[in-house]
Amino acid sequence: MIKLEAINKTYQVGGSPLRALRDVSLQIGSGEYLSVMGPSGSGKSTLLNMIGLLDRPDSGRYWFDQVATEELNEERRAHLRGENIGFIFQSFHLINRLSAFENVELPMMLAGQPLKQRRSAVADVLAMVGLSQRASHKPNQLSGGQLQRVAIARAIVMRPRLLLADEPTGNLDSKSGGEVIDVLEKLNQDGITLITVTHDQQLGDRARRHIRMVDGSIHSDQTTYENGHVNDHRKTQKSRDESI
Amino acid sequence: MNFRDSSSWVFRALWMQRTRTLLTIVGFSIGIAAMVVLSALGEGLRVFVLNEFTQFGSHIIAVNPGKTETFGVGGLLNTTRPLSLNDATAISQLPNVEEVVPLVMGNAKVKHNQRARYTDVAGVGGAADKAWNLEIAQGRFLPADDLQRARALVVLGSKVKTELFGGVNPVGRFVRIGSERYRVIGVVAPKGEFLGTDLDDMVFIPAGKGMQLFNRQSLMEIDIFFNPRSTSEAMADKISQLLIERHGFEDFTLITQDQVLVTMDNILSILTFAGAGLGAISLLVGAVGITTILMITVTERTAEVGLLRALGGTTLTVRMLFLGEALVLGLIGGICGVLLVAFLLLLIYLFVPGLPVALSPTIVLGALGISMIIGLLAGSQPAASAAKMTPIDALRAE
Amino acid sequence: MRVSDQFSFNRQIFLRHKVRTGLLLLAVAIGVASVILLTSLGEGARGYVDREFSALGNRILIVLPGRKETTGGGPPIYGAAPRDLTLEDANALGRIPGVLAVAPIIAGTTTVAHSSRSREVITLGSSDKFFAVRQLEVGVGRILSPRSRSEPLAVCVLGIKVKRELFGNSRALGEWVRVGDRRMRVIGVLEERGESLGLDMRDMLLIPVRTAEQLFDSPSLYRILLDIAPSADSDKIQEKILKLIRSRHDGEEDVTVISQDSMLAAFDNILATLTMAIAAISSISLLVAGILIMNISLISVSQRRQEIGLLKAIGASSRQIKQLFIGESLLLISMGSALGIGFAFALITILAGLWPSFPLQPPNWAVPAALVVAFGTGLVFSIMPAKRAAALDPVLALRGLQ
Repeated sequence: MIKLEAINKTYQVGGSPLRALRDVSLQIGSGEYLSVMGPSGSGKSTLLNMIGLLDRPDSGRYWFDQVATEELNEERRAHLRGENIGFIFQSFHLINRLSAFENVELPMMLAGQPLKQRRSAVADVLAMVGLSQRASHKPNQLSGGQLQRVAIARAIVMRPRLLLADEPTGNLDSKSGGEVIDVLEKLNQDGITLITVTHDQQLGDRARRHIRMVDGSIHSDQTTYENGHVNDHRKTQKSRDESI
Repeated sequence: MNFRDSSSWVFRALWMQRTRTLLTIVGFSIGIAAMVVLSALGEGLRVFVLNEFTQFGSHIIAVNPGKTETFGVGGLLNTTRPLSLNDATAISQLPNVEEVVPLVMGNAKVKHNQRARYTDVAGVGGAADKAWNLEIAQGRFLPADDLQRARALVVLGSKVKTELFGGVNPVGRFVRIGSERYRVIGVVAPKGEFLGTDLDDMVFIPAGKGMQLFNRQSLMEIDIFFNPRSTSEAMADKISQLLIERHGFEDFTLITQDQVLVTMDNILSILTFAGAGLGAISLLVGAVGITTILMITVTERTAEVGLLRALGGTTLTVRMLFLGEALVLGLIGGICGVLLVAFLLLLIYLFVPGLPVALSPTIVLGALGISMIIGLLAGSQPAASAAKMTPIDALRAE
Repeated sequence: MRVSDQFSFNRQIFLRHKVRTGLLLLAVAIGVASVILLTSLGEGARGYVDREFSALGNRILIVLPGRKETTGGGPPIYGAAPRDLTLEDANALGRIPGVLAVAPIIAGTTTVAHSSRSREVITLGSSDKFFAVRQLEVGVGRILSPRSRSEPLAVCVLGIKVKRELFGNSRALGEWVRVGDRRMRVIGVLEERGESLGLDMRDMLLIPVRTAEQLFDSPSLYRILLDIAPSADSDKIQEKILKLIRSRHDGEEDVTVISQDSMLAAFDNILATLTMAIAAISSISLLVAGILIMNISLISVSQRRQEIGLLKAIGASSRQIKQLFIGESLLLISMGSALGIGFAFALITILAGLWPSFPLQPPNWAVPAALVVAFGTGLVFSIMPAKRAAALDPVLALRGLQ
């Protein structure tokens, strides 16, 4: 579903350039559950933003469902984002003047979908995250865990194929954090590709595939199976490239 | 994003920041109110003056001796090319001519017993009352005599009558004008002013007597009133031809009512524009207010903008939402401005009834239209700012 | 807090929010500039009228035949009365002590022609004194001679436009023209000069008064101009004039005397009132700017809650906080006003350079008035936000809860 090839990204921080991503190449299949970990400044958030079409690479190519995304204009990218990708942020990014319901329906509203359709879809996803009772509450009336669950509901209301979570439990206590992860993993079991970026080793370990980043490059990329077998994707990638 | 959702979004965004929205609207509405009131004043003045000119009807042509080169004031001065009573009689016989009023004016002392008064004296024809909408309060107006056989009759203006006769009925009595005795045959009802000239401080005598009194060989003006069956141009042509035949030259000036109105209108439009211009200054500052507040708002809601983009909103959507806020600020400001104007006009009407102000639906709609347009213009820069943000910059700024 | 510290404190804030500061300055500048520019127009018009009147010469009295009794109404303009104002009357008036010169005027329209060209022109019959009183000079030839006061000489002086229309570029001096039904010799051509209070002197013919009397077959004077000595008492002379006319006109006081001063005063009043009205109206924009100041101040206060809490916690009193915010507004207003004043005067200077005759004259009171209004509204509109800032509870503010 996702193919990244030699992605580079440099930012200007202060006066000097910072190379956030160096020649990153990556393939992700549909339905996978990955975690991306690494120290601060390793480029993991940048990677997530690239995958989420929120940012453009300086060089390299990114295919999403065999579509070359660098050839798309801004409007097409927005459309692609809205249809296929859901975001969950560390600071929730809910709009304070809207109720939970209204926050969740936002992606559908932006896509121009009619009210009736929106109502039923929103009701469904709120039920999925267990917040049907809180639909009319405003963000200032909800706890941290509940806020993040509303954010998740918003992220999935358009039935995206990919869910990107940037430090989803960063602002939550362990109990709420656990609840949130449960919801996310259940969604993954239902078939949604899930990528989490996190500092938290425990959280990161729960994923099947672990990517570790250091200084803008992928340091390691392994899937651990139940039987203990470890599949190193970089080796597989290398041999694939060499055989061509 | 459909219309209902966008409007609901825009209104809620504005409502969230009630104070600043309110203050912005107040400022803008003052600007709109200023513009509307001042344009209305200018327009009211224009209409007032035009009405003064058209109160005598629109099918009028005035002939003055002398050519246009002398600014048409030739009537007031001596001339070597007189306009005569015979000319007036001849003109009155043209087809489609309804009334002809010959005119010679001056100033003289009118005496009755011990009382005397210097007043304007208008030497006119018997049709002057009809032509100039003069109502007769007592007696009757000058008779439609043969212009050549002018009799010593006089009709008094209301002010003159009061000064000389008090409450007594003057009809049938005699007054002295200059050195001659005139018999009073009527009194004109109070008429008021016409562009500074007090029409009540006047007496009316036959034109022939007027020429004698002021020792003039020429009339100052001949006013011709014609019926609508003929056009101004056709009428003007006929009169021109007739006078050229009689005089041998074109030694006169013809002015039609249309020409007067056009000239006046041009001059007076300046008044309306000046009024609008003065108001526009306040409106401009009000618009700067909208821009300022929206710029601040966009900066404050950077994260929100980023979110909208992350959730699939396009650049256009973001731009439209902020333009929408600007538009609504402008529109509501416009509505409040118009209401403010209505209130002011009500006050003016109660305390100063004479002031001419005209608030037409056109002006109201125009005001609302302008409010929206200016609102949009004021919001264009903030909206562009918001649209320019990439989602990543915006989210990061939190 | 010392003033200079306050300045640098504020300066930092302004730099941090360049856009909002800039736009606010713009709003104030527009208001101040418009007050100055518009009142300059009004004052310029007044100056124009003043200059035109003084161009007429020193102190002039105008005698017109006829009289209006209605107070406040205009003078009788028709120039026609049963009893004529005559040349003899004019000469008699000239003998009143204090009267320096008398210029009788007979006015009419007639045709003036030369070879195949002819024109209808306004014709004034007067004397040599007329030129002095009206400050007219000839570019070619000479003015009417003193003999023109009493003799019907067949001579004339042409206005510059009339000369061009009849003679083109060739010499007019010494040539004969037909005026009405008689011939006259051109003895002078007036200098190029524009309009003077309505009468275009370029488009006129000047002939001796007695000649005009014959030409128009009427001895009645249109006006009499009297030039009186600067030291003379204008009112006394006006009385004497009326008395003299009474005695010459069988006890009838059938004339009106207008003094140039009273006319000027009347115009002055009207224009001055108009200018002030314009000033008031354009000040409305400063009111709107004041509202913007309040709006921004309120936003600023709520954005800087923590900062205010901190200031209070380290010892600033409520009063000092108030002063800080009010001071900020006043500083913004001064900067905006300075911009507005600069722009207005720059524009006036440029316009004066391009069109010297265009009347733009900033009245003395324009700048102070604009400043008073600007600072006044600014002060009024920043009191409320300043009070709000001062009322913040430092603890809550620091915690970001207020």
